[in-house]
Amino acid sequence: MIWLAVRNLFQNKTRFVISIGGVALALLLILVLDAVVTGVQRQVTAYIENSGADVIVAQEDVRNMHMAYSALPAAHETHIRNVAGVAAVTPIHYLTNLIEVGNTRNLAYVIGLPGEDGVGGPWRIVAGKTLPAVGEAIIDRGVALNSGVGLGDTVKILGEKFRVAGLSEGTETVSGGSVAFIAQRDFVEARRDTGSVSFFFVRVRQGESPEQIAARIEQRLDNVTAQTREQFAERERQVVNDMSTDIVAIMNLVGFLIGVAVMALTMYTATWARRAEYGVLKALGARNGHLYRVVLGQAFLSVLLGFSLGWGITLLLVVLVPRVGLPIALEVSGASLVKVGGVSLVIAGVSALLPIKQIAGLDPARVFRGK
Amino acid sequence: MNMANATLQINHVTKRFGAGETQVMAVRDVSLTVAPGEIVLIMGPSGSGKTTLLSMLGALLKPSEGTIALHGTTISALKEDRLPDIRLRQFGFIFQDFNLLSALTALENVALVAELAGVKYGTAHNKATEILIELGLGARLHFLPEKLSGGEKQRVAIARALVNDPTLILADEPTANLDSKIGHEIMRLLRAIAKEQGRSVIIVSHDQRIKDIADRVLWLEDGQFKEMKTRAVDPVCGMSIEGEKAAAIFEYKGTTFYFCAKGCRDEFERMPEKFQEGGTGMA
Ligand SMILES: Nc1ncnc2c1ncn2[C@@H]1O[C@H](COP(=O)(O)OP(=O)(O)O)[C@@H](O)[C@H]1O
Ligand SMILES: [Mg+2]
Repeated sequence: MIWLAVRNLFQNKTRFVISIGGVALALLLILVLDAVVTGVQRQVTAYIENSGADVIVAQEDVRNMHMAYSALPAAHETHIRNVAGVAAVTPIHYLTNLIEVGNTRNLAYVIGLPGEDGVGGPWRIVAGKTLPAVGEAIIDRGVALNSGVGLGDTVKILGEKFRVAGLSEGTETVSGGSVAFIAQRDFVEARRDTGSVSFFFVRVRQGESPEQIAARIEQRLDNVTAQTREQFAERERQVVNDMSTDIVAIMNLVGFLIGVAVMALTMYTATWARRAEYGVLKALGARNGHLYRVVLGQAFLSVLLGFSLGWGITLLLVVLVPRVGLPIALEVSGASLVKVGGVSLVIAGVSALLPIKQIAGLDPARVFRGK
Repeated sequence: MNMANATLQINHVTKRFGAGETQVMAVRDVSLTVAPGEIVLIMGPSGSGKTTLLSMLGALLKPSEGTIALHGTTISALKEDRLPDIRLRQFGFIFQDFNLLSALTALENVALVAELAGVKYGTAHNKATEILIELGLGARLHFLPEKLSGGEKQRVAIARALVNDPTLILADEPTANLDSKIGHEIMRLLRAIAKEQGRSVIIVSHDQRIKDIADRVLWLEDGQFKEMKTRAVDPVCGMSIEGEKAAAIFEYKGTTFYFCAKGCRDEFERMPEKFQEGGTGMA
C-alpha cells in the first residue's frame, strides 16, 4: 500500500516540488537559526573548553566570562594551592576590550597570562610563539589577516602598543571578535591594578573529581564561586540561550506555521484532486484505514524528503558561510535535528487531518454516478 | 432453477431516496435470481433505476425494503463494516469510465486490489501479471492508464475485477465509452469469463448491441422490471428506441431501420453502407 502513497506523491511534479520545497524552506529556517545559536555557543565556549582548567574560580556569583566581570584578591592563589587535591593554580586576567590596528578595531577578549607555561593560553598556534613575553601579543590569525598585520607588526590592546609574536587558531568569537593573549605584567600595568586577578584556573590531581575540589575551594574561601570547566561552559551556553530564546521561539513558530500551511494545503489539494479515486477504492472494498495509511504515508514521505533537503541545505551553508567571509560559524547540533524531526512529524500529522476527514466522508456509492 | 444454488437472490427490493414531497422511488419491489455462470443484462431508459439497483446488488447501497442474499447470506442485513470485505472478495466491479488509478501502472492497479484483500506484495503482483497476460495485456503491464486505449483500460479494469476471484461481476455501462467493435470484444470477454470460470455477471446497459451475449435480458422502467417491447437501435446515434415510438423509419436492402429523429434518418439515407452495421433493424 505504501507504494500507492509514493506514486501519488510523485505523480504531480509541481505539487511535489512545492510541498517538498516548502517544507524544506520552513525547516531550514529552524535549522539555520539553531545552527547559528549552536555556532555562537561553540565560539563563546571555545576559550574555556580549551583552557585546560579542571576548575575555574571566580568572584562570588560570577559563573561565566561573556559579558561578565570578575575580580578576586591575588592572594587567594596560595590558599587555593593548599586545598587538598589541587595540582596547579594559574591566575588569569581577563577583560573585554579592543584590538586596534590603524583604524580597524576588533572586539577582543583580552587574556593576561603569567609567564610560565600553564593553562589558559592559546591552544593552536599557527605561527610564532606559544606564550606572549612582555610587550608581545598573540592574536587570532583571521583577525590578523583581515586587518593586514603579521608577525612583528604592531597592534594596540588596552590602549598600549604590542608586537604581534604569535598567531592562533580557533580563537575567533562572535561578531568578528577574538581572544587575544598578552603577558600578565603588561595587563596589570595597563590596568594599574596589581592586587586583583579575574579567575584562577585550577588543575586537580590525577584521580580527583573536579566537582569535589570545586566544593572544597568554596568551603575554604569566602566570596568565591568555583565551578568545573563543564559547568562553566554550560553557563556560558545558557547566556547565549537566554539572549536568543525569544528570537529562536518566534522563528521556530514561523517555520512550523509555514511548514504546516504548505503541507496542509498541498495535502488537501492532492487528496481533493484524487477524491474520485479514493471513492473507487472504497467501492472496491478498501477500508478507511487503508486510505488513511496512504494519506499519512504521503504526508510523512513529503516531510521526510523536505527534512532531508532542509538538512542538506543547512550542511551546505555550514560549509559555505565561512567561505564567503561571513563572521558566523554555523553548527548543526543533534538536539536541533531531534527537535526539527519532531516538528516535521507534527507537520505531517497535522497536514493529514483534513484529508483524512475528507476521505472519511466519501460515499462509495457515488462511484457509479461518475465524478 | 434450484434456489439454494443461486449466486444472488433479490427479494422484493425497493429503494427510496429522500422523504415527503421530494421522495423518489428509484427501484420498486424488484425480485431476481441469478444462477452461477449466468449473464444477466439489465436494460432500460435513463433514470429508470438501473444504477441504483446495481449499487444495491454490489453492497454499496442498502435497500429501503426487501432482501439481497449472496450464496444464502443476507448481505442487505449485514452491518456496514462487514460490507467492504464482501465487496472486495465476492464482487468484481466494472465501470463506464474504467476508474483506474491514474498514478498506477496497469499491473499496479490490479495488484493493489489483491493487496487490499491481504495478499502479499509479491504474490499480488504475480497474480495480477498472470491475469493481465491472459487478457492480452502482457505488453502493457507497466503502462500508466493515460497511455492505454479505451479497450485496454477496460480490460485492465476487468483484470482488477477478477483478481480476488469474485463470484459475481457487476458492470455499469461497460461499453458506453468504447466504440462498438471494442465494446463487443469486451462483452465477449465477459461472456468467456462467465462461461469458463463460472462467475455470474450482471451488466447494466442501454446498448442494445450487446444483447446477444446475455443469457437473459431484463427491461427496467420506472424502477420495475417490465416486459420487453419491440426495441430497435437507431443505427446513426446508437440510441435504443421502441419500434412503435420511432420518429422515422427507413427500408434498406430488405431491412427496416428505426430512428430517434428525422435528422438521423436523413444522415442514414446519405450513407446507408456506413451505418447499417450499427443498428438492429427488423427483417
Ligand atoms: N442519491 C440519490 N438521491 C436522490 N435521488 C436519486 C439518487 N440516486 C438516484 N436517484 C434518482 O433515482 C432515479 C433512478 O436513478 P438511476 O438509478 O441513476 O437510474 P439509471 O441508472 O437507470 O439512469 C432517478 O430519478 C434519480 O434521480
Ligand atoms: Mg445509470
